[in-house]
Amino acid sequence: MEILQEITKAVYDGEEQTTVELVKKALAEGLRAQDIVDQGLVKGLHECGAGYEAGEKFIPEMLMAAEAMKASMAILKPHLVAGESVAGAKVVLATVEGDVHDIGLELVATMLGSAGFEVNFMGPDVETSRIINAVKEDKPQLLGLSALLTNTMDVMPVILKQLEKEGLRNSLKVIIGGAPVSQDFANLIGADGFAYDAAAAVPVAKKLVS
Amino acid sequence: MSYYMYDGSNEVTPWERMFATMNGEKLDRVPVHVYPRWAGLEYIGVTFKQAWDNPDLYVKGQIMAQQRFQYDCVIDYDMMGPVEEAIGATLKYPDDDCPQIAEPFIKTKEDMKRAKWKLDPRKDGNMPKVLQCIRRLKEELIKAGNGTQRVPIMTWGSCPSRTAACLTGFKEWFLIVARDPDWAVELMENALDGWLQMVIAAHEAGCDCVWVNDPVSSADCISRKHYDTLTQPFQRKFIEAIRRETGMKIIFHPCGNWHDRLDLVYQNQADGYFLGPMNIDLCAQKAAEVRDAGLNPHLKFLNGNYGAGTKTSTADRKPVPYATTLKFGTPDELIEEAKIVINTVEGADLRCMLGPNCWEPKGTSFINRDATIYAARRYGSYDKKAE
Repeated sequence: MEILQEITKAVYDGEEQTTVELVKKALAEGLRAQDIVDQGLVKGLHECGAGYEAGEKFIPEMLMAAEAMKASMAILKPHLVAGESVAGAKVVLATVEGDVHDIGLELVATMLGSAGFEVNFMGPDVETSRIINAVKEDKPQLLGLSALLTNTMDVMPVILKQLEKEGLRNSLKVIIGGAPVSQDFANLIGADGFAYDAAAAVPVAKKLVS
Repeated sequence: MSYYMYDGSNEVTPWERMFATMNGEKLDRVPVHVYPRWAGLEYIGVTFKQAWDNPDLYVKGQIMAQQRFQYDCVIDYDMMGPVEEAIGATLKYPDDDCPQIAEPFIKTKEDMKRAKWKLDPRKDGNMPKVLQCIRRLKEELIKAGNGTQRVPIMTWGSCPSRTAACLTGFKEWFLIVARDPDWAVELMENALDGWLQMVIAAHEAGCDCVWVNDPVSSADCISRKHYDTLTQPFQRKFIEAIRRETGMKIIFHPCGNWHDRLDLVYQNQADGYFLGPMNIDLCAQKAAEVRDAGLNPHLKFLNGNYGAGTKTSTADRKPVPYATTLKFGTPDELIEEAKIVINTVEGADLRCMLGPNCWEPKGTSFINRDATIYAARRYGSYDKKAE
């Protein structure tokens, strides 16, 4: 469908207004909302993510694509059929206490949301006790933790230990990310997964909950 | 075994070693500078908040840690936001971490009018407290040196792009860069003067050199084109103004991965570069090219960046892990990486100032701190060719 390709391109280019207009047009033409999401919006965001990986796109462009996606999702949400989402899994996302950086995590939230996850995005600088409470209340399959600073990455093992202490660790997978974090660090602290950036987070998250 | 076996009494002073390196000269060996905030705090067992509430504790920590670990430079409170706070932002002061902006202060262009752009570091906000700490540090260093300041003090300044991003919030900053570059320029124009005044005042209070950084212009963040046309000119303007007003040596920290724009960053006219997690071969090669082409006559040294000498990072030109070698590596790994860094930088006829590729992390072991000095002595000596 040509209009889906246009939507993909509009998201890739970060054209929020154009994307929204195309999404409205696609709905008016009778396309299924889920097809618009999967074959138009998500594809555009993934292509933008691939561009980021390749050094062709950068954070401003990724953010603009995510904004275009979010504005479109607001229109599409009433049209999406419950249970039709790709994974249907719940995920809690938080940047650890003491760290105010959450751009990357917000991109992860957008991309996981578009992939069908039910996302509780807690934002930056979230106290460990609030993360534990969110796990207790939301009962997610996945917990995503982010840190940008070498100083705050140390909070991650503290959270993992607290999850174990509260008897919550076995019921969920934990994925970590952020500039100073690595697969080695994930192994060291006992996390289940690691993603360097937002684009890499979706396949890791899907694998962990499958 | 312990690497702590040197009293330093018969050696060149750290001050002489640091300034020789910053001037591009060889003295006895490469100096070690790791931005040792946590070394000082952890050595005397206080939190950042305790040291913030009592500057004498901070001073004591810096001096005792320098004496214990034999670092070649001490630092002031370093990399916190007294200027952004005085402009109008609210800082959050955690118990044991450096303060951060609690929430964005400038959300619209209208908010620009609420900001206090013209600042007096001797009066406004917490800036006088930072200056007081520098004065006390100077006094105590002179006392410890029996009338001679043997160790230099480094202060810190925030590049206009970083300050603007702190004031708007990082997400909004990146959207402004993409959607409204004229506003980005206006923000940086306004943001420049506050930190310039602070650096000048820090110099007058006793600081001897300065490092400045920009974590929002790397290849992880914005395009080379945005860097070239928007933020690099403001780095250069800031650096040249500091040199003109204070004469201090200036280290620029390209935070993150700058592989595709090293040629541009080296032209911002700093004297040296505190390298982030990047390939050391490429960093040294590009620095030599810029120097040899006469594009930065000040460029004399590279600071950093062990963590960059690993096999995976030298095999390709991708980013390497931040500071994790210093914290999680073994002393042998650290010494091996330090050796690679020293040989690579000195091999390009630049001076090496040994250190990690990010701020010294919290909780670094004593043995790794000691191994850093050991590596500088073992492989960074100018008396004998490094092995």
